[in-house]
Amino acid sequence: MPAPLTDRRSAMTLTAGAALLPLIGIDTASAATKTQPASWPMRDIPFNAGWRFHHGAGNGLEQPGLDDGGWRPIDLPHDWSIEDIPGGHAPDQIGPFDKNAVGGTATGFTVGGEGWYRKHFRVDGYPADARLEVLFDGVYLESDVFLNGRPLGENRHGYIPFSFDLTPFLNRAGDNVLAVRVRNEGRNSRWYSGSGIYRPVTLDVMPADSHLDRWGVAAWTRQLENGTAVVEVTTDLVTPLEGLELVTRLRDADGKVAAETRSAASQSVSQILSLRGPRLWSPDDPQVYSLETELRRGKTVLDKVVQAFGVRIITFDPQRGMVINGKVTKLRGGCIHHDNGLLGACAFADADERRIRLLKARGFNAVRSSHNPSSRSLRDACDRLGMLLIEEAFDVWHEHKELQDFSIHFRDRWEKVIDAMVRPARNNPSVIMWSIGNEIPLRATDQGVEWEWKLANAVKRLDPTRPVTAGLNGVLGQEMIAGPETARPGFANKIDNASTIFIDVPGYNYRLDDIEREHLQHPERVVYASETFAREVFDYAALTDRAPYFLGEFVWTAMDYIGEAGLGATAFLKNGSPPFAITGWPWVNAWCGDLDLIGEQKAASLARDVAWGLSPLELLVQRPAPEGTFPWVANWGWPDELQSWAWPESADKPLTVRLYTSAERVELLLNGATVGQKTLTPEDKMKAEFAVPYAPGVLEAVAWKGDRAIARRRLETVGAANSLRLSVESSSELRGNEALAYVRVDVLDSAGRVLPDDQRAVGLAIEGPARLAAFGSANPLATGSLQSTETQTFRGRALAILRATGPGQVRVTAQSEGLPNAAVTFALA
Amino acid sequence: MDAPLYPPAKAYEPPRRLPRVLSTRDTPVAILKSVPAAWAIVVKEIPSIDRRTGGEQIKPHLGNFSLESLLVFGVVQRDAIERIDAQLKALGEFK
Repeated sequence: MPAPLTDRRSAMTLTAGAALLPLIGIDTASAATKTQPASWPMRDIPFNAGWRFHHGAGNGLEQPGLDDGGWRPIDLPHDWSIEDIPGGHAPDQIGPFDKNAVGGTATGFTVGGEGWYRKHFRVDGYPADARLEVLFDGVYLESDVFLNGRPLGENRHGYIPFSFDLTPFLNRAGDNVLAVRVRNEGRNSRWYSGSGIYRPVTLDVMPADSHLDRWGVAAWTRQLENGTAVVEVTTDLVTPLEGLELVTRLRDADGKVAAETRSAASQSVSQILSLRGPRLWSPDDPQVYSLETELRRGKTVLDKVVQAFGVRIITFDPQRGMVINGKVTKLRGGCIHHDNGLLGACAFADADERRIRLLKARGFNAVRSSHNPSSRSLRDACDRLGMLLIEEAFDVWHEHKELQDFSIHFRDRWEKVIDAMVRPARNNPSVIMWSIGNEIPLRATDQGVEWEWKLANAVKRLDPTRPVTAGLNGVLGQEMIAGPETARPGFANKIDNASTIFIDVPGYNYRLDDIEREHLQHPERVVYASETFAREVFDYAALTDRAPYFLGEFVWTAMDYIGEAGLGATAFLKNGSPPFAITGWPWVNAWCGDLDLIGEQKAASLARDVAWGLSPLELLVQRPAPEGTFPWVANWGWPDELQSWAWPESADKPLTVRLYTSAERVELLLNGATVGQKTLTPEDKMKAEFAVPYAPGVLEAVAWKGDRAIARRRLETVGAANSLRLSVESSSELRGNEALAYVRVDVLDSAGRVLPDDQRAVGLAIEGPARLAAFGSANPLATGSLQSTETQTFRGRALAILRATGPGQVRVTAQSEGLPNAAVTFALA
Repeated sequence: MDAPLYPPAKAYEPPRRLPRVLSTRDTPVAILKSVPAAWAIVVKEIPSIDRRTGGEQIKPHLGNFSLESLLVFGVVQRDAIERIDAQLKALGEFK
């Protein structure tokens, strides 16, 4: 029998002599950092530390007697597809990337396969009749779960939470082994999925008889009137016994009780909370309450769930569009995949929060979780930071896009997926719509229309407070009419299209030219652009301003992601060749994001800053094409523009300089002399372009409104690399091994300017209680490991991500040949 | 201010489809393919159409894409679809 991974003495130390943490041998790091409840019950206990992992298949790996001492110790979340390929050899295998990976460009040449996880734990401190459930927030892809060698169940969708009751097979007095087999095989995804238990795992301990149903609380703001919010709450209970009471309350951010109500417990309890002077939730001011649900017997709390809640009312109509608490709000949206860049699919709360924080800083107020339900930590970050969120269930229904994708399970499991998308997220104030699918093949056939109805109405049975949407590409299908039993309320016997007939708020993918034309035929529709090309940012900004029924856009994508390699590629093609290129190995990331893989702004993001009013002026230079070539940009891409005026190989040659501006007039100066001026018209779409012969020095742009210069931007010719600079982003609020630190590496010249196009090897040394979780750059090509202490900078930058292993000071030192070492010291965890 | 509700419908009955004229703007490529007379027109005007729409990435979407909606991806050219449109119109309405 293997030994428990954490000894009893350590665990007892953590509980400080109280019998409040009787779960022995688990998750010491996480447990040490959470405030433990003073009494039963215990929900949401981190169950992430102390797992063991084996990459490969085998028989009997779930058996409790198996000696797993040779398996690799890991802490969750974990994604084996982002790890170096074992025994990999260049040039066909580079870090986690394999030129011959079955997923090809779709998964960014990463590799799946089979992996096993095991975790030992003890529960002998708990009452013998306590019920224990384990909750997985997401495992990719197919998982089979065993406790002490006995099957608990399986899951076949890679992005939904699922739980199992451990109670029937628990060893109450000795060692328990939870084993999880994970398989990610075949061509099952169009983008990087990751592999393994890539989202956190938690444990819930509750009474065996009466308890709160998982995700059984549904709350929504029914009315805002005369300074009072009416919040309706429905709570489902499991086997409620006589004499129990259900207490529901809202606490404000200061912890004060803002409203409370009590009812006799029954299978389903409906309650009303009346909240005077509510602090409303909105993207601009995301006030979050704690919604507490307690099942009590007298003064004893038997079970308790706490979740975020926001008081807000959102309406949609074609006259005003989307209105949040009475204020018209346009969507400034971005599509995102689930991966966290260099970390792969791992859903660290810090990483999810960083993504949302970076996007918020760039003016985004909405993200679309394409094309799957998001992690809990991402939703929580959206709640806290004020980011609207569209949750999406499917990329396919009954017809496949990839041969082994979810379509093979869809007919049997669609209801489970809808349930697992809606119920856990229906109290998140950030969630504004439920998407039932993205670019679904054959959606306009008879069968497709029936699925559209089934899915939309399954959502509405679980949450009738939000509209249903879908991402629709191409055309909307044949005109048709639904009868009164079948139609959406108010739409019976009216002409609609096959793809929109049961959709409350249609989302359009790449249909810019259709939107206003269709509005003439269907003025009743409220629509938005669920996917857009970055190059259309100024068109969508203008449309958003002039069309009240048009809610706004979601660019594809807000941030780079692994997979769909080269979707936004740029290249230089030989003069005379057709303007078309196919990208493949060694491209591994999509390169279509406004922000790159490590969170830096790319040219498209700077242009968006202007389109969305964050900046009056931006200045960029297109990388010059080598002799005999011309630049090509993929549909989802953006010209290869940099904030750089350092092109020594292009002396005296004309370079394309682009200014993005909201000003009336712009002027361009090179070393103090005017080299171009332009008065902009609406047809210019906020862009001015100049050809400027290159000479080193200072290129300056000035934006004018009348006689007043409203903005200036300068690009200076940088010198040779002179030093490295390390800087730590704002410190994590988390503790224990959940905390991450992001350390930026910049290559500077002697004047302290970042070299905008520099690539060089950099090595890291880490001292103190942290380990390297990832180290790399935004380079869209495979250049090496993402987990080694060596990497190559790209455009003068790299990023290291450290995971805490304990409290204390961490020192990171960077070295690069020919440059002095640089170091930074900071506290983590 | 009252919050809106989106209640579920009661039962499913297949919606009634309205007759349509085939077009390059609104008719999915898959539908054009299913009508031999229509597809013959398309092949005549764009002889390489099967190759252009035969890629693994685009094939699943032929039930959603019309010829016109493929313009943005550079799969077909505007002048060809205008010629096709005039001929499709002559085929009359389809259920």
